[in-house]
Amino acid sequence: MSGYATWVYAVTRDLRPDALSEVAGVAGEPVRTVTGHGLTAVIGSVDAEQFGEEGFERRLADPAELAAIARAHHGVVEAVSAAQAALPLRLATVYRDDDRVRDMLGQRRGDFAATLTWLAGRAEYGVKVWADLQELSVTGDEPPAAAGGPSGSRQGAGAAYLSRRRAQLSARDRRRQAAAEGGAAIHTALSALAAAGRQHPPQDIPLPGDHDRPGDGQPELMVLNGAYLVEPGSLPQFSHAAQSAVSARPGFRLELTGPWPPYSFAGGPEGTA
Amino acid sequence: MTQPWSPAPASGTAVPARREPANLADILERVLDKGIVIAGDIRVNLLDVELLTIRLRLLIASVDRAKEMGIDWWEHDPTLSSSAHDLADENRRLRERIGELEPGHEHKPGGELPASARNGHRVPRDEPAVRVGAFPDER
Repeated sequence: MSGYATWVYAVTRDLRPDALSEVAGVAGEPVRTVTGHGLTAVIGSVDAEQFGEEGFERRLADPAELAAIARAHHGVVEAVSAAQAALPLRLATVYRDDDRVRDMLGQRRGDFAATLTWLAGRAEYGVKVWADLQELSVTGDEPPAAAGGPSGSRQGAGAAYLSRRRAQLSARDRRRQAAAEGGAAIHTALSALAAAGRQHPPQDIPLPGDHDRPGDGQPELMVLNGAYLVEPGSLPQFSHAAQSAVSARPGFRLELTGPWPPYSFAGGPEGTA
Repeated sequence: MTQPWSPAPASGTAVPARREPANLADILERVLDKGIVIAGDIRVNLLDVELLTIRLRLLIASVDRAKEMGIDWWEHDPTLSSSAHDLADENRRLRERIGELEPGHEHKPGGELPASARNGHRVPRDEPAVRVGAFPDER
């Protein structure tokens, strides 16, 4: 048994020979290809022990190693994708040898070919939208009459506190609701301008204490973390629509990223990948 | 935060001029959670993505320690370098969060965290019920 295993980065059709000359793989290895069934898999040879089950899981648990491996994997996928429509493979798809990769190409060739055709000429763009809950314009936000005023004189301090608190909570709920609705509306509008759209989970990871109340401690909520498959010709229109939708909503902020390899669309038109 | 094709305030043109290095959170989200899943020959059980991401943020928060290790990629990552002033606080919160997540991971790799791990440190904040005792004159 050889000391090497085969790491798979992406599947594509023909690739220019020089497309991979500038990149190195996750183990620093030169990146090469294996072809079969009309498809090309972009691969690299990695140490079978270092990238075997046990050692590799340990390495991935180390954030610095994970970051380096993720960036290297992405770097190769990006280089392939810049040259030719490509299907990115999820991190850590490893085969015993090149022949096993060729077998895999044969088994999946129908899906792969169809998805590559669908993806051709299109690129993934990321749209992230945040809402600053304090700056949202929401109707019905006025606080109730101040406690301690003439009308509140018969209320105890506790009751006044509670009613104030209740009003605050429901105002915040309304703001959260408005933020979420804004995010959903932007997603719908952008999906209509794209070949496909997918929503990813928001990146603001809940931390202790704000787990069930996002937006409590941090006024900015991520209300959309979307990915869109866009044709180059409609990119200006798409980008303009994203900006208009966000600037029409006070308190909303936009970040656009891309072009990305079509990670979010590698499962094809019906896929959820 | 550098935005590869962020709105151009004055000109109104919005097409990305050139590709900038993507931020790590965006890359991780895609390479760990998207892309085609094919069962290879070597089964690698990726840790829970949330746990991985948090560990990473923790490392980033430990700037000094990471520098000692010779790691400086965040210097080129505008998302990360811009938030340096929050690092100490974030570091503390992330450590707490990891404490919650790790036991769950050990028992059920890659799976759902047990409810106890998820709810472990939840702090009830600003709940009216907590305050009632402090204002006993409620009628």
